[in-house]
Amino acid sequence: MIRRFAVFLLLLALGSIFVNLLMGYVPDSELNLTARYYAEHTAQDIGAANIVTAIVITYRGLDTLGEVTVLFLTATIIGMVLSQGQKHRALQRQLPPSGELLTTGSRLLVPLILLLGAYVFLNGHLTPGGGFQGGAIIASAALLLLLTDPLRRFSHRLISVVESVSGLVFVASGVLGILYAGGFLDSRILSTGTFGALFSAGVIPVIYSFVGLKVGAEFTSMLTNLAETEQS
Amino acid sequence: MVSPIYIIAGGLGAAFLLGLLPAKWRTFAYGITLATLAFMSWVAGSWLYAFAVNGALPVEIFTAGTQPPFAINLRVGLAEAALALLMTLTGLHAALYMKDTLFKQGRQAMAILLIFIMALCGVVFTRDLFNLFVFMELVMISTGGLVLLSSDQRALGAGIKYLIVSQLISMLMLIGIVFAYHATGTLNIDGMAAAHINLFKGGSLAFFLIFMAVVAELKPFPANGWGLDIYESAHPAFSALFSVATGGATLYAVDKLLLIGGAQWLPMASAIGIVTFIAANLFALVQTNDRRLLGYSSVAQIGLIFTVMGQQDILGERYYFIAGGILLAHAVAKAGLFWLSGLVKQRQLTDWAALRSQPLLVFAFVTFIALLVGLPPFPGFYAKWDLAHLLAADGRLWLLGLILFGALLEAAYLFRWFGYIIKREGSEAGLALQPMKVDATLGAVVVAWLLAYLWGQLSGHGNLLHAIPLLFALLFLPLEWLPAKVKNIMAIAGLVGWFYLSYPSYDAFQLIFAAVMLPGGALILLASFQTQQRRVGFYPAAMLMFAGLSMLIVAKGSFDFFAAWETLTVGSYFLILRGKHSEPHALSYLVFSLGGAFLILAGFALAAQGVMDFQIAALAQVAKPFAPWVFALLAIGFMTKTASVGVHIWLPGAHAEAETDVSPMVSGILLKAGLFGLFVLLMTMGKQQLYGVELTHVMLWIGAISALVGNLLAIFQEDAKRLLAYSSVGQMGYALFGLALMNHLGWLMALMFVINHYIYKSMLFLSVGGVAKRTGTREMYRMGGLITLMPLSFIATLIGIIAVSGVPPLSGFGGRWIFYNAIMTADYRLPMVIIFLAGPIAFLYLFRLIHTVFLGQLKDEFRKIKEAPFWIILPQMIFVAALMVFALVPGVALRKVDVYLSQFFAGNGHLNWEGLTISSDFGYWNPVAIMVIIGVIFSTLFAWLLFVNRKAQPVKQFNIVFAAERPFRPETTHYAWNFFAPYRKALGFLTQPLVTRFWEAVTELLHSAAEVLRRIYTGNGQTYAIHLLAFVVVVYLLWMGGSDGI
Amino acid sequence: MDWIAMGTGFTLILMGLYGALTNRNILRIIVSFTVADTGVNLVLVAVGYMHGRTAPILDEAVSAAQAVTRIIDPVPQALVLTAIVIGLGVTALMLTYAYKLYEVKGILDISKCKDLKW
Repeated sequence: MIRRFAVFLLLLALGSIFVNLLMGYVPDSELNLTARYYAEHTAQDIGAANIVTAIVITYRGLDTLGEVTVLFLTATIIGMVLSQGQKHRALQRQLPPSGELLTTGSRLLVPLILLLGAYVFLNGHLTPGGGFQGGAIIASAALLLLLTDPLRRFSHRLISVVESVSGLVFVASGVLGILYAGGFLDSRILSTGTFGALFSAGVIPVIYSFVGLKVGAEFTSMLTNLAETEQS
Repeated sequence: MVSPIYIIAGGLGAAFLLGLLPAKWRTFAYGITLATLAFMSWVAGSWLYAFAVNGALPVEIFTAGTQPPFAINLRVGLAEAALALLMTLTGLHAALYMKDTLFKQGRQAMAILLIFIMALCGVVFTRDLFNLFVFMELVMISTGGLVLLSSDQRALGAGIKYLIVSQLISMLMLIGIVFAYHATGTLNIDGMAAAHINLFKGGSLAFFLIFMAVVAELKPFPANGWGLDIYESAHPAFSALFSVATGGATLYAVDKLLLIGGAQWLPMASAIGIVTFIAANLFALVQTNDRRLLGYSSVAQIGLIFTVMGQQDILGERYYFIAGGILLAHAVAKAGLFWLSGLVKQRQLTDWAALRSQPLLVFAFVTFIALLVGLPPFPGFYAKWDLAHLLAADGRLWLLGLILFGALLEAAYLFRWFGYIIKREGSEAGLALQPMKVDATLGAVVVAWLLAYLWGQLSGHGNLLHAIPLLFALLFLPLEWLPAKVKNIMAIAGLVGWFYLSYPSYDAFQLIFAAVMLPGGALILLASFQTQQRRVGFYPAAMLMFAGLSMLIVAKGSFDFFAAWETLTVGSYFLILRGKHSEPHALSYLVFSLGGAFLILAGFALAAQGVMDFQIAALAQVAKPFAPWVFALLAIGFMTKTASVGVHIWLPGAHAEAETDVSPMVSGILLKAGLFGLFVLLMTMGKQQLYGVELTHVMLWIGAISALVGNLLAIFQEDAKRLLAYSSVGQMGYALFGLALMNHLGWLMALMFVINHYIYKSMLFLSVGGVAKRTGTREMYRMGGLITLMPLSFIATLIGIIAVSGVPPLSGFGGRWIFYNAIMTADYRLPMVIIFLAGPIAFLYLFRLIHTVFLGQLKDEFRKIKEAPFWIILPQMIFVAALMVFALVPGVALRKVDVYLSQFFAGNGHLNWEGLTISSDFGYWNPVAIMVIIGVIFSTLFAWLLFVNRKAQPVKQFNIVFAAERPFRPETTHYAWNFFAPYRKALGFLTQPLVTRFWEAVTELLHSAAEVLRRIYTGNGQTYAIHLLAFVVVVYLLWMGGSDGI
Repeated sequence: MDWIAMGTGFTLILMGLYGALTNRNILRIIVSFTVADTGVNLVLVAVGYMHGRTAPILDEAVSAAQAVTRIIDPVPQALVLTAIVIGLGVTALMLTYAYKLYEVKGILDISKCKDLKW
């Protein structure tokens, strides 16, 4: 009880910090220096219609590389932790069969979901979306499959190859940026192409595709690993 | 040159590559890991070389081919390259150290390690605020993974606590970042700094949140329970990384943040830092688990560096020298200690006694704790010196005081630990030695000494590792395999040779001290020929002490003086610790001495007022508001060494428990260092008044009381060496009294004491030591009647006693004579009476040495005892001869000094030396005449006694019949036990151990405070998160209060 | 309008934290943190919002020339993407820890996990 009260008081104080922030907040009416630069230069410099994507992959590409690494790291840790000490853990109870609806539905939906995912990451530089969103969509297909058949196992080997290759491509394209363009992670090692076209914005679509694959693979790997812990 | 971005790209690429490898290719994966870490270290190292040696300019790395602030940029300069090298090298060693674990866990663990190191480099390099967040998150998540490499199951709990707290940290940071971005329109750190974030509405608050988030990663008190749990339970190699690499990188991140916030945030940094430093050190006092103790120590050290960061406004160009010095010292020491902990099987501090079987590892341990405490010649020492001076120059004395207090706590628990290693039960079975792990640890030792050299070069005070005496002492380390006798010859040759070489450069005053310390030391070392085998550890310690002493007397600048002071303190500590039961006494000696040394440091710093190469002679010019304080600080510091009453409690144990040949060194020689300091102080500063109180007058009283109390305590001792030790307290009281008289004769007498006390105290300690060696006890009532068996020891003791008690004809009397003359010229009646009173008391205890030890009946078990060993007797006989000579012609030494002292007390009260007669205003003293007269009286009396007793019949020892029951405590029936019981009844109230009780109460208070306060670390992860929240809120409220609202 | 989103975000954070700091069950703590995370993300995007403007995507509706006056600040959007992914990573990691803790010790109560203290 005392704990609850203390927490309440502390959160009240934290809330007052937030209120102060909120009171001090004045929405911008003009874009600030940084945003203005992106608004003005993205189209001609990077050639991506989706400015957020240009920022994510190019201007702040190092963040994104870090972000991809976070997922890789998490998937690796989960793999490392959960693979210990439970090699042959057989399911002990009989699972109730998945419903007809779920089975058939997933058979129908999975290819569509995969397709949508691929679409989202391939067009990340043009429309809302991108590698992370696409990857998450792809992983949702895996989730659906796991829901349908909790005992389904995906190939760890395949997943880790996809993961690693995509990561290496990202790093390698970054390094190519030093050699052939303006610096690490400069997306202009390929031509920026026609503004608005699928094959434009330099290496962004390539990177985002690999990010999509990678994110999809990593989420799948996490899901699979967590699913494999099902034992009771 | 390879661009530093490859440190990041390489680490990341290799981590991804590891994922491609089949799980079975462990060796290959391990090879890649090592090669990548080596590559990263090489890049960092090559840039460090370029910046440090070739003076290259910092490299800016623009990503995305776009200028900042529109794209993320990285910067690598000297500091970044140094940190990157530190982190990658620690990472490389961790990979080597964890080889088994990494092989077991496979490529995944290796990938996590690589990403961890890469992310740390990213934290250091990046100049973008959000990018900093991303790298910090990477560090955090990989920490979550690496914690699990531990074989300790409890690491799981530690990890989840860490994750809970990290969630909170990330949230604060994200909110802060986005509002800071909103306020300034940029995410670039330099851009934000230029935009002056505090001017924006909501800007300071946003910065506050970011700042709190990053500071929370530094594990500030009290929001650090999670960090300690990780330190305790993680794999030691990871704990090393967590302390060294994460700590270093986060500190650098805070440094960058402070650029944004500006100077107004500095006081907050210092406040958080110092509270953490002291609290963590306090808690460590009661810690018994080694890794948790190291955790507390890590937290404390990082708090200290954070404090220093908050002072960067006054540190100026020395900032990186100081902060870097402390950081690197912490890093190397902590890595080394954690690695060492992996070699010890059990987790209690006392289990480290197992290390004792490996002298090399003990040396490694000593190196590491010396690094941490900041002893010369390590970087922390130079950093401490500069920091103290700059703080004192700016009047930030409170902070200086707190830092020194925390450092003293830290020294106390680290050296207590060292005491356990040297003294506790332990066997080789407690060690789990693996070549790779041992190599990593020894590698850290090498780096430590290299850093010591480097910091010496950079310090601008002269490199201590260029000082020949110090090098000579260190030379004994690699020669430890030689037999002790060979090393003894070398040591004696070294002392005498150095004296010979320096002789021309000494003035009369220095000569007196040098003569006592160098040839005097060599003389006592003759007794060391007695020992057999290799005597590992003795010579480096002894020579370190002598190196300090020889550097002390020629020191011109305050830095040299202080460096010498700490050197001799540390050397003598190791020496004292060698005694069989001296563990607690050596520790209390060290704590008092370091406390005194810190006061001296503060005194010099206050006096210098920012002048870095302050000359001792310039103490005379210290101006009014500071002068009395400087005087008081230095005086108390020096009096700690002379064991004046109040700070004397370390002396009896330390001197009595030391080895036979060590006791005379630490008593006869080491105490003179304190007198030397007091001399120098009084010569330069003279009389000072504080709040109208004459400080020399206070010293006079302290001297008088020390003389009285020391002597009183001495008479009630049963242990012969303790008796002599207490007698030293009294003797030093006399010397202090003489000095504080502030007249010519008083000083002359004090100088005479330097020589006299050396001779007779060394002699007595040696002869008592010899007796104790033969009888196997130091309790006097167990001895008796040894006069016929150990005649030479008897003679030495007799002569020594005559000399000490100041009866004619020996030099003690000369001292007394000068002394009484000196008192006559001063007008302090009451302390004078006390001093007079102390004289006869001295006689009471001295008499016991002869009466109880050598006279009376011989005990049965000692009937076949032999004279003390030749090498112990030889120096005693030389001392006897020296005493005779000095008694006959005191002018040999004193005359020059008398002239020398005249410059301080022009034309006032000096002595007249005519032939063999010395005269003062009150009378004259002819040593030869006195000797002749006493000789005649003595021989007459002796002859008469022989005549009277010519018919006496010697009684055999066993012709008395014992009857009745056996007493419960046999010693109570011995006539010599509690010999002065009547006096105890009368004067016992004066010998109440008030001072001892006071210091025990202080220690007890600190320990119980730590015991109670550390209960806040309940072990509940949720509570730790609440601590963090409370920390943020409290700092917020204080900050709001301090800046009257934003 | 924008302060509604922001206020909601802050409220979510406080609610989430209250849950995380008072519930003892580790799974509940994790869920609470996800709630708070969502709040943080909401605050993040709310900061970039500008009244009367549109998404930072250049197409027929917004040409490159008019972008400066028509689009909202794209930076917070980029940041929130990263923040979401990182939050997800941490959540997954915590779940793994929770699972492992349950497997090894059979507990999910954070207050029972006190073998390291003082």
